[in-house]
Amino acid sequence: MAIIECAAVVASNRRFLKKGALQLADDAIGECLERANRSATDIDLLVNAGIYREKNLAEPALAAMIQEDIGANPEQSSDDHSHGTFSFDVANGGCGVVTAFEFVAGFIESKTIELGAVVASDSNPGGVEAFPFPNAGGAVLLRPSPLGKGFTAFTSATFPEFSGNFESAIVWHPHAHPVFSEGTNVLAVAIGDEFTLRASECSEVVVRRFVEENGLGLGDIDLLIASTYPRTFAADLAKRLAFPSDRIAVPEDRFAGAHAVGAIASLDAAIRSGQFSRARNVLFVTVGAGVTVAAALYRQPSPDRILRGA
Amino acid sequence: MRDLEGKQHWMLYEGGRAAAAAAHAGRFESLGLALPEKRLTTDELLRSTKHSTGIDLEKLTGIRERRICSEDEDSFTLAVAAARDCLAHSAYGARDLEMLVSCSISKNKGGVRHRLEPPLSLSIKEAIGANQAKSFDISNACSGMMTGVFVLNDFIRRGAIRCGMVVSGEYISNLGANAAKKIRSVLSPQLASLTLGDAGVAAIVARAAEGSRGIRVVAFTTLSEHSRLCVGVPSSVGPGASMYTDARAIHRVTLEDAPALLADVIDQSGLDLGDIDYAIPHQTSKRAIEKGARELAERLGFRPRHFVDNIAERGNTATTTHFVALYEFLEKRAFAAGDTIALISVASGLEVGVLVFEMDELMERYGHH
Repeated sequence: MAIIECAAVVASNRRFLKKGALQLADDAIGECLERANRSATDIDLLVNAGIYREKNLAEPALAAMIQEDIGANPEQSSDDHSHGTFSFDVANGGCGVVTAFEFVAGFIESKTIELGAVVASDSNPGGVEAFPFPNAGGAVLLRPSPLGKGFTAFTSATFPEFSGNFESAIVWHPHAHPVFSEGTNVLAVAIGDEFTLRASECSEVVVRRFVEENGLGLGDIDLLIASTYPRTFAADLAKRLAFPSDRIAVPEDRFAGAHAVGAIASLDAAIRSGQFSRARNVLFVTVGAGVTVAAALYRQPSPDRILRGA
Repeated sequence: MRDLEGKQHWMLYEGGRAAAAAAHAGRFESLGLALPEKRLTTDELLRSTKHSTGIDLEKLTGIRERRICSEDEDSFTLAVAAARDCLAHSAYGARDLEMLVSCSISKNKGGVRHRLEPPLSLSIKEAIGANQAKSFDISNACSGMMTGVFVLNDFIRRGAIRCGMVVSGEYISNLGANAAKKIRSVLSPQLASLTLGDAGVAAIVARAAEGSRGIRVVAFTTLSEHSRLCVGVPSSVGPGASMYTDARAIHRVTLEDAPALLADVIDQSGLDLGDIDYAIPHQTSKRAIEKGARELAERLGFRPRHFVDNIAERGNTATTTHFVALYEFLEKRAFAAGDTIALISVASGLEVGVLVFEMDELMERYGHH
């Protein structure tokens, strides 16, 4: 089973010269490694779950560039005591972080890896006038659990009947009067007003089923860690579930409306406030275009078991 | 990763001697292929370049023609057609699939419109009726399909699921059309874009029966000091994308770094180099494939019975390359039961992946036309 070792988030809210997704990801994983007192060379697997990045880069995986930038075993060594790092990107919109948690936790369970890094960052790639998300990045380290707890269950569901509520694509716009170029490829993000409603509506269905399947009631959930886009998502979902607001992780204001990184921003806030370490049962709920909902249950040993090292 | 004896290995291993024992093994239960009807010869492509290039691309790459999408085809339609073909060859139905992973680099849906959200996997699973499947996209340059198998196979080995599909549709001929507007000589960083062809593939990976070998090993690493050697971005000259490649540097570092990794994978598979019957490399150019085969023979003594090359009529089909070749050899009934096949991927990143599997009853479903 896999547990969260550490998390970190960074934002770039300055008006000009905002940091791009690559720099944000580099900074976030750098901060995370420092907090965990780890070296980048410890990472076996690095998965990036961000969507929007500089120049709308399609290849290589942004994860490979992050790996190089932070020095996570970028070159092969013949030293018998060293190992490599494998990097790739996952894309599942606002749910990418929980999707990445699921298979990184799986690789830990199968002993394929010992330390996994999940990174997510989104930035305005340029040329988008009303980019709906703040430029932000986050990183989480996962490792095997010594106490047999951690991520215990994952679920996801899609509601394609609402897929038209959130669409983004890179589209060619021909210039009416070509002088220097015939046109431009630009990112177009279209999010309908209905998405906010559908996000909480679909998530309610998934959460109720998921909690019950795992033999729990909503009253057993001590902490809800949720996506930060739509901005009111956590509160909307809590209202539908009649879930107490003091059990919701609240990220810093600068991460309000953050996209793929949102769940990490909520997690980071909960870790720093002490909410996370006090919670026995933590529920992650992420939502994204599709409508896609991905959730995870994270269970921690009770404090007395931790003290006894049971 | 560290093996059971405490020795470190550079690659991550699923299966083989380095890996912890798994509850189950995965196998390729079915493959699917979709090729556009339309063909574009290398002659025709070179006649379309804006500048006079003087390049003999066919001699340089061995590519005579490639398939390209017509107006009503794109990454999505090719992926869906390949997924349907895969299901037609499978004992599983769409509703049996517990996971669906889309792995293409190009994500065009509705023509040359690169879809970011919702993920293309959502539309593919909806189109084929795989309503129960967990779905997401993976992006790992031309290693995407093999990375998808790596992820899916772990779920199967742990017993978390029984079967899932990895799928990719590549509409990348638009990169060739964009490159044709810019290329002036053989030294152009967009030269490799002229080698690209379109294709869709799908593979169902399922739990193997007890005692059956199926996929012996999947191993991967990223030599990220070379991460900037091949970069694909939306084009500045036309719809679709452009790719900038330092092909010589990639070729050089591949020959420097890959042989030792390949030798370790074969060793971890519990096999000797001589046990590999078919090696299927990424189809980039005939020269690169032949040079690679020579180097592996000279440096490692790696001489598989067949070093597969189907590049003349397909070109470089990115993530789909290994599975296009595999499918076409299945259709030709080229394989014998028990043949050991190694898929070797080197992709932008620099991703190095090797998958070793044993041909089984999969072959019985193909070549009956």
